[in-house]
Amino acid sequence: MASESLNLVPAPPRFRFRGGKVVQIAVLVVVCAIIVFPMYWMVLSTVQPYNYSLIYSPSLFLKGIELSPFHDIFANHPMGQWLWNSTQVALMVTAICLVLSLFGAYALSKLRWKAKPAFGFFILLTQMMPGAIIIVPVLRLYRNLGMVNSLPALAFVQAAFALPICVWILKNVFDSVPGEVMEAALTEGCGEMGVLWRMMLPLSLPGLVAVCVVAFFFSWNEYLFASTFISTDSGLLPGAVGLTTLIGLYSTPTQTLLAAGLIFSLPPVVFYILIQRYMISGLTAGAVKG
Amino acid sequence: MATTHRPGTRPDGLTGREATLSRFTRKWLPYILALPILIYEGIFILYPMTVGVKYSLTDIEFGSNSAPWVGLKNYHRMLTDHTFWLAVRITIEYSLAVIVAALSVALGTALLMNRAFRGRGIFRAVLTTPWAFPDIPTTIIFLWMMNPLFGVLSEMARWLPWIHNSPSWTLDPRLALATIVLISVWKGFPFYSLVILAALQGVPPELYEAAIVDGADAPTRFRYITLPAIKPTLMLLALLAFIFSYQQYTLIWQTTGGGPAFATQTLSILIWNEAFQYFDYSYAAAVGVAGFVLSILAALLFVFLERQARVAEER
Repeated sequence: MASESLNLVPAPPRFRFRGGKVVQIAVLVVVCAIIVFPMYWMVLSTVQPYNYSLIYSPSLFLKGIELSPFHDIFANHPMGQWLWNSTQVALMVTAICLVLSLFGAYALSKLRWKAKPAFGFFILLTQMMPGAIIIVPVLRLYRNLGMVNSLPALAFVQAAFALPICVWILKNVFDSVPGEVMEAALTEGCGEMGVLWRMMLPLSLPGLVAVCVVAFFFSWNEYLFASTFISTDSGLLPGAVGLTTLIGLYSTPTQTLLAAGLIFSLPPVVFYILIQRYMISGLTAGAVKG
Repeated sequence: MATTHRPGTRPDGLTGREATLSRFTRKWLPYILALPILIYEGIFILYPMTVGVKYSLTDIEFGSNSAPWVGLKNYHRMLTDHTFWLAVRITIEYSLAVIVAALSVALGTALLMNRAFRGRGIFRAVLTTPWAFPDIPTTIIFLWMMNPLFGVLSEMARWLPWIHNSPSWTLDPRLALATIVLISVWKGFPFYSLVILAALQGVPPELYEAAIVDGADAPTRFRYITLPAIKPTLMLLALLAFIFSYQQYTLIWQTTGGGPAFATQTLSILIWNEAFQYFDYSYAAAVGVAGFVLSILAALLFVFLERQARVAEER
C-alpha cells in the first residue's frame, strides 16, 4: 500500500455543502456502532453481575463489575486444556502451511514455467472446496488408520484447507518485490533458491508473519473437522469444540459461556487487526491493488 | 526478462558446467517447488475426493465393512430427492442474500470512507474485528442477544410498533434463514468493505477532476466513473462471498442446526446430517460429489472473472 494521501480521491472542493463531512462521520459512527455492538454486549454481559443481564429492558451501560465467570471457566471447566489443544493444533498447521506455501508461492510468483496456470487453478480449486464434501471419506480413512482422536491428524486436514489462502497471500507479497532486484541477484551468480533464501525471505518478513497468523487462526476457528475427528471424552478437544460443549449444559451459566467466548476471540481479533492489509490482497488474489 | 549483455560473456555470467546446471534447475525448479503442495493437497483433499466418488457408488452398511456396489443408485435417489433440491435452493438463496446484503452495505461504507478524515485508521481496525471474530463465539453472542426473554435484540425488535412478542429468531422457518443471513452479513461485510475501499483508492483522481470540470454531479460520477472502475472487484467479491457462503457450516450449524424443518439446511449441513444423523455415508458421499462439481464450476468462473479484472486493470 503506497502512502495513503497519494491514492485519495480528492473531495471536490467548491460546491460541497459544509454539513457533508458531519453526515459522513455520523453515518460511519452508526455503522461502527452496529459492528461493535455484539462484541460490546458480550463484554458487558460477561463482566457485570448476572442479575443485571436478567432484567426486562436490559441497560445499555455497565452497572457493575463481577469477574467470577473468568475464574469459573478455568476452575470448573477444562478451558486451559482446550486453549492448549487449540494452540498445539494451530502451531502444527502454521508450520505445515508456512513451509509448503513458501515454495509454492515463490514458484507461482517469480519463476516462469509452463504448468503455472494449471498449478494456480489447482490451488484455487482446493480453496473452493467446502470441508463437508470430503468429511465422510477422510473420517473413514482415519478410522481405518486409527488416526481419530489425534491432534496431528486433525492438523493435517486443517492445513490442507488453510494452505491455498496462505499461498495466495504469500504470492502477493512476493509479487511486490521488484523483478529487477531478483534479476540483479541472478546476474551476480545467486541461484534461484539463493534468491528465495537471501532476498525474498528477508524482504517479505511481514508477509510471512501474516501467513503464520492466518494459518494459526484458521485452525483456531475450525470447527467441522475438529468436532468430527475428536471425541468429547478424549481430553483432546480444541477450544472451538470445547466451547460448544458448554452450550447445551443447564449447569453452565450464560456468563461463563460468554467469558469463554471472549477469551477465545481475543487473540485472533488482535492479530488480524495487525495484518489486515495482507489478508485483503491475498484473498482477492491480486485483482485488487490493496 | 530484461537482462543486460556485456560483450564476450555469457548473459548469466556463468561458466559452462554451471550454466548447464543452471539451465536444468531453471527448467525444473518450479516443478520441484510445487511438488510438495501437489502431494499434500493430493493426499488430503483429492485422494479423499476420489474415495468419496467410490463410496457414492456403493452402499456402505454402518458398522460393517461390507459395501456392495450399487452403481448410480445414490445419484438417482439424490436427483429425485426433494430434500436435496431444497438444500440446493437454500444454499443458493442464502448465498445470494448474503452477497446482495453484504456487498451493498460494504459498498456504502467504503464510499463513505473514501475521503480523508481523521481517525480513518480506527475505522479500518473496527471494520476488521467481525471477520477476525471466530465463528463459535459469534454464534454464542448472537444467540444470547436473541434470547426471547432477556436478549437485547429481542428487546430492540419489540420497540418496533408492529412487533409485540419477541421474534422467534431461529424457530420460524422464514425468519431462521434471515437470522443466519443477518449474522453472516455482520461477519462478512466489513471485510468486503475494506477490499472495495482499496479498489476505490486505485481509481485515478484525474478522472474525477475531469468530470467535475465537465460539470458532472456526484451520482453521474458514481455511475460513469466509480462503478465501471470497481466493477471487476465487485464481481470478484460476489464470487468470494459465494464461496464463503457455500463453505459456511459452523455458523448455520450452531445457530439453527439446519432447522426448523430443513429451512436452513444448506448442502454442507445436508451432508453432515446424512452422514452423522442418519449414518448414510454413501448418500452423503454422493451429495459431496455434487458439491465438488459445483466447486469446479466456481473455480472456473473465478478464473474467468479474474482474467477480466486484470484486463480491466491494464486498460
